Amino acid sequence: MNKRILPRFLLVGLLLSLAADVFAADHQWVLKESALTYHVSHPLHQSEGVSHAARGKGVCHEGHCDFLIAVTVKSFDSGDSNRDLHMIQVTRGAEFPMVTVRTRLPEAASTSPTIKADIEIQFAGQTAQYKQVAFEVITQGNDKRISGTIPATLADFKIDPPSLLTMPVKNEIPIRVELTWAPQ
Amino acid sequence: MNLKAAKVVFGAGLVLILAFNSELLRAQEASATLSGTVTDSSGKVLPNAKASVKNLSTGQSTDAQSDAAGLYTAANLAAGDYEVSVSAEGVGVAVAKVTLAAGGQQSLNLTLTQPQAAPATPPVAPSENLPNAPSAAKTEPSLEDLGFSKSETQSNAAQQALLDKRTRMLKIHQRMGLITTIPLVATVILGPGAGGKSEGTATRDLHVALGSLTGDLYGITAWYAIRAPRIKGTEKRGPIRFHEAMAWIHGPGMILTPILGAMAFEQKNNGEKVHGIASAHGPVAIVTAGAFGAALLSVSVKF
Repeated sequence: MNKRILPRFLLVGLLLSLAADVFAADHQWVLKESALTYHVSHPLHQSEGVSHAARGKGVCHEGHCDFLIAVTVKSFDSGDSNRDLHMIQVTRGAEFPMVTVRTRLPEAASTSPTIKADIEIQFAGQTAQYKQVAFEVITQGNDKRISGTIPATLADFKIDPPSLLTMPVKNEIPIRVELTWAPQ
Repeated sequence: MNLKAAKVVFGAGLVLILAFNSELLRAQEASATLSGTVTDSSGKVLPNAKASVKNLSTGQSTDAQSDAAGLYTAANLAAGDYEVSVSAEGVGVAVAKVTLAAGGQQSLNLTLTQPQAAPATPPVAPSENLPNAPSAAKTEPSLEDLGFSKSETQSNAAQQALLDKRTRMLKIHQRMGLITTIPLVATVILGPGAGGKSEGTATRDLHVALGSLTGDLYGITAWYAIRAPRIKGTEKRGPIRFHEAMAWIHGPGMILTPILGAMAFEQKNNGEKVHGIASAHGPVAIVTAGAFGAALLSVSVKF
């Protein structure tokens, strides 16, 4: 009797320990597609610059996921090369070529239709934090499509508002974020 | 009287030029700059060391990165007390305090040393109200994980300086272009009177004076655009292409118009009716002014 129970007991123990390892292990999200769009308002016209070149990764561990999204400043395209060069200059994009966005979310957030995230952005040599930014989450198969707007301003990053015809642009530069994450 | 008018117009233009140039100088003087060399304990310069310059009164941080010569620069800083911390992976850290004066250029060299071993205390868990605090599990992804190349992530101070120079020159170009518009419009308005049947020379002389001022201001405007540094690898797109195409019309026009004008002026002064190629002065001037206006609008208003 003991000879028959012991192997079964060991097998169950082994399976349980394997399962525990699987659940405790890190899992990751990879940024599949992205569109980051900044909006600038000037008394004479409005303009937008968009980048599809962001790369991102999320690492989940012990119920939380740490996300990092990064994009080069020069990848933003407003359809006007002159404006883009001025944007790189005014944001010190050659000196600080990367924009990085970091956030930490509870793992359960991926199942919610909306999330509120505390975001840290490093840009133009400055770091700014945005509290409780609302994002919409749409599930597309295994992927998660996240969209929302970060209420960024030029002052957050100590950027002097560029001017056209001596009129400066508005301080507000909302950044529209659309990200599609795939599990890895 | 005519000479007086010309002097007044020229003087006004000169005052305007000085006014905006002094504004640029003031802007450059207001902020302080901190720079220095980062070295290790053996005195070797350290490229790509991360520097953070924190204003102790506002808590705002400015980041910088040392270049190939180990030089870091943090510009546009307000006067005040700062804490400077520099680190390089695998080498060490250095922290120092410095006070910056308004408009000053302060130097602070830093030598990195290995930090002392941490005391054997249990790690502090990240606070609940600090969601961006580093994870105790060290699972946070890093920039290296994302696969950016070194050329994409590396700071390029020389390129930034080139962009800064380009913007400064194009700002002057833009303002000079606006200033040039004033005498240009006035010259065009006075044109019919200057070339009319009137025997008086007052309008004609004023037209000549304003035209000369326009030409001078235009020359300065063009110089700043032509001499602005070109950024390699930039494909021109958008309204700037139309803006530059217009320059191929108003540029030659600005040379041709005064030549034809001088011929017409001489003919009128000799009591002759303007004739021959000189009669093209008016139409060429109109086309030139039109191209100049279109160039200005193309980069100002979104069509």
